[in-house]
Amino acid sequence: MSEVLRIENLSAGYGALGVLHNIDFTVQAGERIGIIGLNGHGKSTLLRAIAGLTGWQSGSIKLNGVEIGGIRSQGPGRFTHQIVRQGLALMPQGDALFHGLTVADHLDSGAYTRRAWRERVRRRERMLEVFPPLAKLLSVPVGRLSGGERRMVSLARGLMADASLLLIDEPSLGLAPKISKGLIEALMRIDLGNGAMVIAEQNLSRLEGAMTRLVTLHAGKLKGGAAANMGLLGGHH
Amino acid sequence: MHIDFYYLAVTTVTLASIYGLLAVGISIIWSSLGMINMAHGFTFAVSGYGAWLVAQNVSTNGVVVLAGGVLTGMLSGAVIGGLAFVPLYDKPNFAVRSLIATLAIALFGSQCLLWAFGPRVKALPPIFPTGGFKFGTASVSYDRLGAIVCSIVLLLAMLAWMKRSRRGLEIRAMMQNPEGAALVGVGLRSTAIAVMMMTGGLAGLAAVLLSRTYFISPFAGAIPLVKGIIVALAGGLGSLAGALIAAALLGLVEALTAVGLGGRFVLITQFLVIIIILLIRPRGIAGMLERTRE
Amino acid sequence: MSTITQNKATADRTDGAGPSVVGSRRLLPRLRGHGGALWRRWRYPFTRRTPLLIETAYNPKTLATEKEIVDKRPLYWIAGLLVLLVVPPVFGDNSFLSAATVFAIYAAINIVWMLMIGTAGIFSLATLAVVGAAAYTVSYISIHTGLPWWGMIAVSPLVGLLFGVLIAIPALRLEGFYYALLTVGIADLCREFVLQTQALGAASYGLYGADTYVPKGISERGGLLLSFYAAFVVMLAALALYRMVNGQRLGLLLRTAPEGQEAFAAALGINYRAARIQVFLISSAALGAIGGFYATYFKGASPALFTMDSLLLLLAMIVIGGIGTAEGAVVGTLIVVLFDRVFIGLGPVRLIIIAMIMFGTVLFLRRGLFGIAPQFRAWRDKRRSERRALRTGEGDDIMPEDATQIADKQAIYTQRFDKQLREELKKLVTDELIAEHRRTDGGRRSDALERILTYFRRAEMAGKYAILAEKPFAAYRIVALSGKRGMPPRLVDDQVFATQEEAQHGVFLKRIRDLLDS
Repeated sequence: MSEVLRIENLSAGYGALGVLHNIDFTVQAGERIGIIGLNGHGKSTLLRAIAGLTGWQSGSIKLNGVEIGGIRSQGPGRFTHQIVRQGLALMPQGDALFHGLTVADHLDSGAYTRRAWRERVRRRERMLEVFPPLAKLLSVPVGRLSGGERRMVSLARGLMADASLLLIDEPSLGLAPKISKGLIEALMRIDLGNGAMVIAEQNLSRLEGAMTRLVTLHAGKLKGGAAANMGLLGGHH
Repeated sequence: MHIDFYYLAVTTVTLASIYGLLAVGISIIWSSLGMINMAHGFTFAVSGYGAWLVAQNVSTNGVVVLAGGVLTGMLSGAVIGGLAFVPLYDKPNFAVRSLIATLAIALFGSQCLLWAFGPRVKALPPIFPTGGFKFGTASVSYDRLGAIVCSIVLLLAMLAWMKRSRRGLEIRAMMQNPEGAALVGVGLRSTAIAVMMMTGGLAGLAAVLLSRTYFISPFAGAIPLVKGIIVALAGGLGSLAGALIAAALLGLVEALTAVGLGGRFVLITQFLVIIIILLIRPRGIAGMLERTRE
Repeated sequence: MSTITQNKATADRTDGAGPSVVGSRRLLPRLRGHGGALWRRWRYPFTRRTPLLIETAYNPKTLATEKEIVDKRPLYWIAGLLVLLVVPPVFGDNSFLSAATVFAIYAAINIVWMLMIGTAGIFSLATLAVVGAAAYTVSYISIHTGLPWWGMIAVSPLVGLLFGVLIAIPALRLEGFYYALLTVGIADLCREFVLQTQALGAASYGLYGADTYVPKGISERGGLLLSFYAAFVVMLAALALYRMVNGQRLGLLLRTAPEGQEAFAAALGINYRAARIQVFLISSAALGAIGGFYATYFKGASPALFTMDSLLLLLAMIVIGGIGTAEGAVVGTLIVVLFDRVFIGLGPVRLIIIAMIMFGTVLFLRRGLFGIAPQFRAWRDKRRSERRALRTGEGDDIMPEDATQIADKQAIYTQRFDKQLREELKKLVTDELIAEHRRTDGGRRSDALERILTYFRRAEMAGKYAILAEKPFAAYRIVALSGKRGMPPRLVDDQVFATQEEAQHGVFLKRIRDLLDS
């Protein structure tokens, strides 16, 4: 069982505000981890820090053994594309879509490795199996889609390149319960292989039953300290 | 006053295609990088010199000279991107600062060219075979025809490339959402250099094709830059289709004015037309709806 | 606004210990206070404005009143302008004088340009076009109708205003940035027109023959001196105009509507668009006047005014000095003109160097030379706050947003102190310490151990570990007190200790574990 992600002593924040404090976190291959926490306590910041999009961060982040963290306080997003190419896929809050491009363009843009680009039609078909409603919308500009469809496009785009670590930030945000349930079920059906999936959610009930383990993030610290790595549900107050 | 329609048509198409090359370059750089490249005129001038050096030292074959000009343009574009875009793109006041930075590069570059090559203009060997044919009542030289055909072919090729290739997709994605583009592995800096190289190549092509009209001199790029900017502005910065339409329109205006009123009123009428267009539609003919650049 | 320097204690002879320095060093002497007469101040006639912002403060050591000049900028201005006025005529030869005259004219243009860009926020690159258009028009009129020089200077603001109206029309509809691009073409348009029109001197590369204010019989040096003083007066007039527009009603209105925040001003009912256009038109008229002066100085006009090179040179001046302030305009012009003048032997290379300086300025400085101090301060503050955020963890310093919810502010400081104390104590915990605790039960203990034990003893009741004697002298267990009246303690784990000492050591170990975990 290899370690997909190993975070040691990560602190991150924006400007004068420190959001994460000395976080230690490990993800093994094949795991589905859920990060629970209230708004503003650092779930998104943790995922963005792994992708290098925070204002500043310090601490070690190793993706498949390759160090992608480090002390940074200049230009969020400067190294993100290199980090992504190490095998990371972040599906952020707000979807980060390209409003003028079509759904097919989005899926194509997700295939950034050479191999993925060559096989992009076949992978597109695979994505349409995972998210069937997109099949009819391939040539529609994304700006015209509904919230749930946009979320599907964002998720599908992240899945196109066979990343080893999938970071999904609040997939059910702003969506009706039925649609978000369908999305999460689709995500759970994906075969991870040697990769891993981390989902940050505010609403615990959406993730129930499908996760390998759950951790809580409270005020920038993984609750329970060492207990977070041992599979306990966090929070004994 | 007898207006020679054939002459008008030929002149219009020639001018429109050349303006299109320059305006499209400026438009793409603005919409994908958020920067106005005032050093585009310098790229134009230096490509002319590059082609001239190739003609002097390598061969006078038309294709080789053309390639020399285009390659010099690409190189110049890459250098400008590296100097003006890469250090400044995440700093505050980026738009104004990059404008001034490119102006500084233009000043620096044209003075260097002046210093290195002297103020006398230079000429290129003919790219296309001499001679011409009759189109209606106008005589069209092969040179002109070659210029038109080359420009149109390359513009269409570039549009197709933008639509189909991976790099083109990356550029279009970067235009719309830089963070999203980073999340799909699009490196902002390498894509920016790619954009600058492509537009530099277009400017280099225009320089070689226009070498009969704008002889190669250190300041040869000033007027094409201004024309490129105002055509791009009229077409709507960020819209390629708009830039092409505006190029055609302004080519027509220029041809009409040159024939009807005289050469010195050309810029004035063009400006008037552009101001009228901008007054009616402040974002140009096909300006994009909401700019997220700022 | 310069920062108020603290009252520095003057040398206090009474204590005999020598001068004691409190506060920052003073560069200007302190003036004696004026006692009780607070309203007797020097004011500008017929106004209530005071020339310098003078404040009275009490020196804490000597208890004497002292006057301090808070806003020293007028003094800097006066000193600088005096230097500029005196140095060229006294120390300069003829070519230096003519360069100084050109400096004054450029400085005037740049100051008015700064009004347009900084105050009105209209990034127009057509300033030289307006100047040139006015110069050409009045030269033409003077040549063909014999208009004297004072007539030229009187007519030129009107020409400038007219031209300004023409190029203001697109400004109404275009956004600031797009408008800048349009104005680039305007200068070129003028140049093309002028170079191809015979009547405007296309053949001779300029129009010559207009009247000038320099009298006929004067010596060369005298003429140059007169021109310099006249140009200096023009520069002072430009500065006065800047001060009047920027410092008074129009400038204040426009300061509420910086780029991107116009909606705020509009919501307050401020018609910023009208104010912008007014400043633009005033600037255009002023530029026209400068153009008229230019025509009377050079006895004509030349197309060099419309070239990109001149525009870039002027742009370099305001970029180096810093866009937005009048002092930036003057200093930037001074630097570039000096550079031009001193390195004239280098030929076109000096333009290359000026271009490099301009590039370097725009690359590293946000707002030119006069913006260096604020930029450095902002960078230093940002670094400091990031480093502080990196150091603080959770559970110690309460975030400001949460602090507003806590009624008892003392609790915040108590928590902060507690956190600092814990950090200190964590450093003291070693294996030897734990062994010492086991060893020295009942005996003297080391300082470190005593500190830790004192801290443990001071913990609050809720959750404090205690020992339950299940079977006295036989079995002891560790319990945690509930802290609530009537609620029994709970068993922590199922360890059973044989003696009280062992149980005490067990409690110690648990407390150490909790300390290290927190």
